[in-house]
Amino acid sequence: MQVDFGAKELTVKLVYYGPALSGKTTNLRAIHWLAASNTRGELMTLETQNDRTLFFDMLPITVSSESGLKVRLKLFTVPGQVMHNTTRRLVLQAADGVAFVADSQRSEDDANRESFANLKENLAEIGIDPERIPIIIQFNKRDLEGIRTDEELEAIAAQSRATIYKAVATRGYGVVQTLLGLIRETWNNLETEHGLEEKFGINPTRLLTELESTLKHDPRQRGR
Amino acid sequence: MMHDDTSAADLLMGDVVRLEDVLSRDAVTMVCKSFFALFGLPVRVVSHEGDLLADAHQERPLCRYLNTLAGGEKACANTVSAVRDVEPTDRAIVHPCFTGAVYRVAPLSYQGRLIGRFIVGPYVPAGTKKAPSSLSSVDSAIDAKTALAHFAAMPRVRDDVAEKLVAHMQGMLELLVFSGHRAQLASTMQVANVRENYRELAEKNERLKASFAELKELDKLKSSFLATVSHELRTPLTSIIGYAEMLESGAAGTLSDGQSEFLRTIRAKADQLLGLISSLLDLGQLEADSLRLNKKAVDARALLSDVGSTVVPAANRGNIRLEINVDEDTPRVHGDPVRLRQIIVNLAENAVKFTPEGGEVELSAEPGSLDSGIADGLGAALFRSTQPAVVLTVRDTGRGIPEDKLARIFDAFYQIDGGTTREHGGAGLGLSIVKQLVDGHDGKIEVTSEVDAGTVFVIKLPAADDDA
Repeated sequence: MQVDFGAKELTVKLVYYGPALSGKTTNLRAIHWLAASNTRGELMTLETQNDRTLFFDMLPITVSSESGLKVRLKLFTVPGQVMHNTTRRLVLQAADGVAFVADSQRSEDDANRESFANLKENLAEIGIDPERIPIIIQFNKRDLEGIRTDEELEAIAAQSRATIYKAVATRGYGVVQTLLGLIRETWNNLETEHGLEEKFGINPTRLLTELESTLKHDPRQRGR
Repeated sequence: MMHDDTSAADLLMGDVVRLEDVLSRDAVTMVCKSFFALFGLPVRVVSHEGDLLADAHQERPLCRYLNTLAGGEKACANTVSAVRDVEPTDRAIVHPCFTGAVYRVAPLSYQGRLIGRFIVGPYVPAGTKKAPSSLSSVDSAIDAKTALAHFAAMPRVRDDVAEKLVAHMQGMLELLVFSGHRAQLASTMQVANVRENYRELAEKNERLKASFAELKELDKLKSSFLATVSHELRTPLTSIIGYAEMLESGAAGTLSDGQSEFLRTIRAKADQLLGLISSLLDLGQLEADSLRLNKKAVDARALLSDVGSTVVPAANRGNIRLEINVDEDTPRVHGDPVRLRQIIVNLAENAVKFTPEGGEVELSAEPGSLDSGIADGLGAALFRSTQPAVVLTVRDTGRGIPEDKLARIFDAFYQIDGGTTREHGGAGLGLSIVKQLVDGHDGKIEVTSEVDAGTVFVIKLPAADDDA
């Protein structure tokens, strides 16, 4: 988190982590598409020729709260491919919250597990306590065959500290819920650590409502 | 990791700190010039801190004329300075000039942050017919007719057009910022990656170095332990052999045929064990660098003949032809006669052991040279020094050694395969000892082999000085 008291500006860094091809960039693309254009900047992707993330993707979202404070969310993805571990560690630095995008397919169980272990390892390496930073888990690709069932996910959720979200990022389903969930947990954590409400006079419920309304184009909500 | 590194901290949040960091002055100047050429409207780009990054304009005749007047020059400077200080936040601000012209100042923001602004103008809003009184009253010496004529010649722009042009320019500049920022992030990330990888590798190298030193120390301990244990084993064994010999010679009374035979077996097995222990002792001493070589000039012919007589019984048993060839110009070897014998006996015994019936083993010696200094590649020819040497060759027509095993045959305890070991016995120490003895003589040993065709060991040892 970065605070600029002069500019009344708060910057929060959120990182999308997960195994290769689990849909991290797709999440950001969906958010970019769903977010109201006056709040979000351009989606910056640093990718190789075959559309694989090389360094990271970055999507800035800016919301002004009623108190006059500007909240800037910086959403980052890491490159999932195993060989880019150094980059993942660099991108993770100064993260305030992490969304772990897991692939729901059973065949990807090992990749999910390895990537999650890698996340914890990298967090510890850069001096962030993996047990304290807000981490939420998104099980993506719910529309595919051979996936972990809802019951299994519920069982995982019951055992895990992390909240679990389900998504089909290619269609934008669950993407906003994941992001809002991550923001909520990150905000609570920052509030506990820094007392933001008192310092900036922000009402967290109102801020979240405002964020929700900037992401109002969620096709799932539209469909119901 | 990049703690306490300011550029890294900016990178971590992916923010642009200053407009000039991401905007190439050349690129933005070209864009402004092209805008000016197309629409005839002057453009200036100013950073958030107030630095002028690009400026495309031509002084208007009106401005030129006013600058010749003291009052006009002052009013003009004040206006320009005031325009530069205008800081629009979310939309363009129209700032008036005393001449009746206007400047349009628009914000440049990126990722929710103001990073600069640009100024379009001066131009006169379309529909303005009359110049304001502030123009004619700016200086007492002003010629109103000239001033008004110049005013009439000023470019006229409709408000809605001006708005569109400014929006277009804004889009262009923000796109330049975006792509500049993208390039900046990629290169910073690249550098950070290289630095981080370098740090990681350097750390790993340090750890490897430490563990290598530790292993080396352990290896030394192992070798010295091996030498001590072998020595301690040999002492009682020598007594066992001695007493067996005495029994055999009848020193403790006459033996029956059965007793003699048993004793012979005890002797043979004890000798075998002594050989093995001696090898271990040699290896231990060689590895602990504590073997002393008693070097002198050794005649190659005598050396090979001696070895030949040692292995000939085994060769005869296997119906193997043993041949010894010594070039008459062969110099004497500078070495320890006992160890040289050990080297050649070892190789010759191996050759006989692995050569099938009817095969051939050849021991030969000839003059040669030994290279030292840079082995190969650049500078090899310049820095290489050669010295006279004796080339000893042990050649057989045996089963040969597979290519993938060749690199390991000089390792201690290495056997080419279990099957061979069972068939032929041995502890896998011979070649390791040979290699270390050759090294101890500052010589070189090379092996070439072809499966089912035979193996050739070539040893180059320094010649004795007298013969060199």
